[in-house]
Amino acid sequence: MPAPPPDAQTQLAELISVEPCGTDGVLLRLRPEAPVTQDGAPLAPNRFFMLRREDGLSPAIPRPFSIYREVPTEGDGPADLVFLVKVIGPGTRALAESAPGTFLRLIGPLGLGWPDLTTPGDPWVFLAGGIGSAPFFMAVESLTRAGDAAEEAGTEPPAAPYLLYGAATAGLVYDVEEFAELDCSLHVATDDGSLGFRGNVLQLLDRLIADGLVPERLRIAACGPLPMLRAAQTWAAARDLECWASLEELMGCGVGICNGCVVETVPGSELGSWPNVKACVEGPAFRCDTVVL
Amino acid sequence: MVDLSVDLAGLRLRNPLLSASGTFGHGLEMGGFVAPEALGAWVSKTVTLEPRHGNPAPRIAETEAGFLNSIGLENRGVEHYEREVLPTLVGADTLIVTNIGGKQLEDFAAMAERLGERPEIHAFEVNLSCPNVQGAKLQYSTDPDLAERTIASVRTKTSKPIFAKLSPNVARIGEIAKAVEAGGADGITAVNTLLGMSVDWRSRRPGLALVQGGYSGTGIKPVALRCAWECARSVSIPIIGCGGIATADDVLEFLVAGCTAVQVGTASFSDPGLLAGLPAQLEALLESAGIPRLSDLIGTIRDGREAASPSASPKPATQVARS
Repeated sequence: MPAPPPDAQTQLAELISVEPCGTDGVLLRLRPEAPVTQDGAPLAPNRFFMLRREDGLSPAIPRPFSIYREVPTEGDGPADLVFLVKVIGPGTRALAESAPGTFLRLIGPLGLGWPDLTTPGDPWVFLAGGIGSAPFFMAVESLTRAGDAAEEAGTEPPAAPYLLYGAATAGLVYDVEEFAELDCSLHVATDDGSLGFRGNVLQLLDRLIADGLVPERLRIAACGPLPMLRAAQTWAAARDLECWASLEELMGCGVGICNGCVVETVPGSELGSWPNVKACVEGPAFRCDTVVL
Repeated sequence: MVDLSVDLAGLRLRNPLLSASGTFGHGLEMGGFVAPEALGAWVSKTVTLEPRHGNPAPRIAETEAGFLNSIGLENRGVEHYEREVLPTLVGADTLIVTNIGGKQLEDFAAMAERLGERPEIHAFEVNLSCPNVQGAKLQYSTDPDLAERTIASVRTKTSKPIFAKLSPNVARIGEIAKAVEAGGADGITAVNTLLGMSVDWRSRRPGLALVQGGYSGTGIKPVALRCAWECARSVSIPIIGCGGIATADDVLEFLVAGCTAVQVGTASFSDPGLLAGLPAQLEALLESAGIPRLSDLIGTIRDGREAASPSASPKPATQVARS
């Protein structure tokens, strides 16, 4: 009986700023009234929030967005939350056109986030497709933090991750300068060659492995358009590698109640006891051998 | 201090607010957003005899002033409900209404027989009106005879109040209301979703995998209000209004139209904590209107003609020029 996450809250958050990002994106910076984690702990990467305007300009159903970044504020207040939003339809347009000072409905944190990325094992290769890069910023940060903690404790740090960031064209490689500042090996690919490697992220991955820049044994976490996720699933299955995909399903409630965001499960797999899982409370990331993409 | 309590078919509700089936879980899953004691009663998502896997995706689609769903009564079945859900309701400081559904007439009675005297359950809502099963034929809520027989079959299996949840997809809902009253219903929930669909003309694809679904949200409020009003005029059992209710004003409108209580559904998707704030908003509205008891508003709708209203000042009839 999937239920809303125990730490999920519904509250208002003040929109602090809206900055354009790439050709069709915005960075929404929100200041929640109450902290979204306890004792100032960072949010787990790839948890998400439902966002909606309450002045009648948003559609009825809020929209799910992965947490992109947390930015500490001066004083004792909770950290600001930053969302990377691609303007696609009326819901995202209403958010992007909100004026600073607007209060938005903020429901979360929701979902399980990525699996624990700091477990011992092969290095992570993050495959980001366009706006699918959003849940990777804090994923890289979490590995950096774990590495620092391991160094301090004198234990083995997790391997630094690789981030392969692809998009159709340069304008859809959102906030790439900020990603470049992170402690990871960043490689960019565009379909039209306008930035970085010409091709998609899996072609880029093949090239990097062939050139010895990425090891053959690796773990994949992918977020992006469905064809990219399917390609990653196939690529990893052929090599018997662990692969996770974070899904962008339509969600009605985001809290496990409406049964709208179902994803078909693979019979006999870990999730196969019921024919579907709910992307909101059981995901949004799933191991690729457990779901039908 | 305003008295929000209402008497619903012999149940004392601390306020007229119920969650609408399918929007608030099977048990108290939403308790982190809305305290159990904030509501008059919690209504479960439909439980069926056998587990149901639900309909293919996409199951939801957004549309004007609300959204469409085609979930297909996905649930783990009554055995799971008894084993996993009912124990979590023991001692809950609220009333529990279990919504039951079925494929065939016998299923409803079998559900009532199985759950009929469970102490955790205070009342049953019989889902006669889900548009997302049996090809949207809605036979239980469009055929008065079948509706009456279904309720009568449930009636023989439980001593607890039974609410019949009706469909707005009929021309004369009052006839269905009379039928379920004759069958032994103690109340009527009016209404379930309207049949609807959406289509993307560019891709030629419908928004829902099964094309048709149930439309809910603020867009259906006028339809739901009229249905509830017609039911209230047609029967002597209480009416629970449902459809597009999102504010305290909406709640009071349904009460004036003849409802004893209301359910809030899709609005909880916009804000899962919305219901928690409504009791205080109801109090504030009634206080400012000088109405000490909410139940005094029930069914107080007046004649629509201004001149017939005792408090309205009569106006001369307006001349309408026709050309």
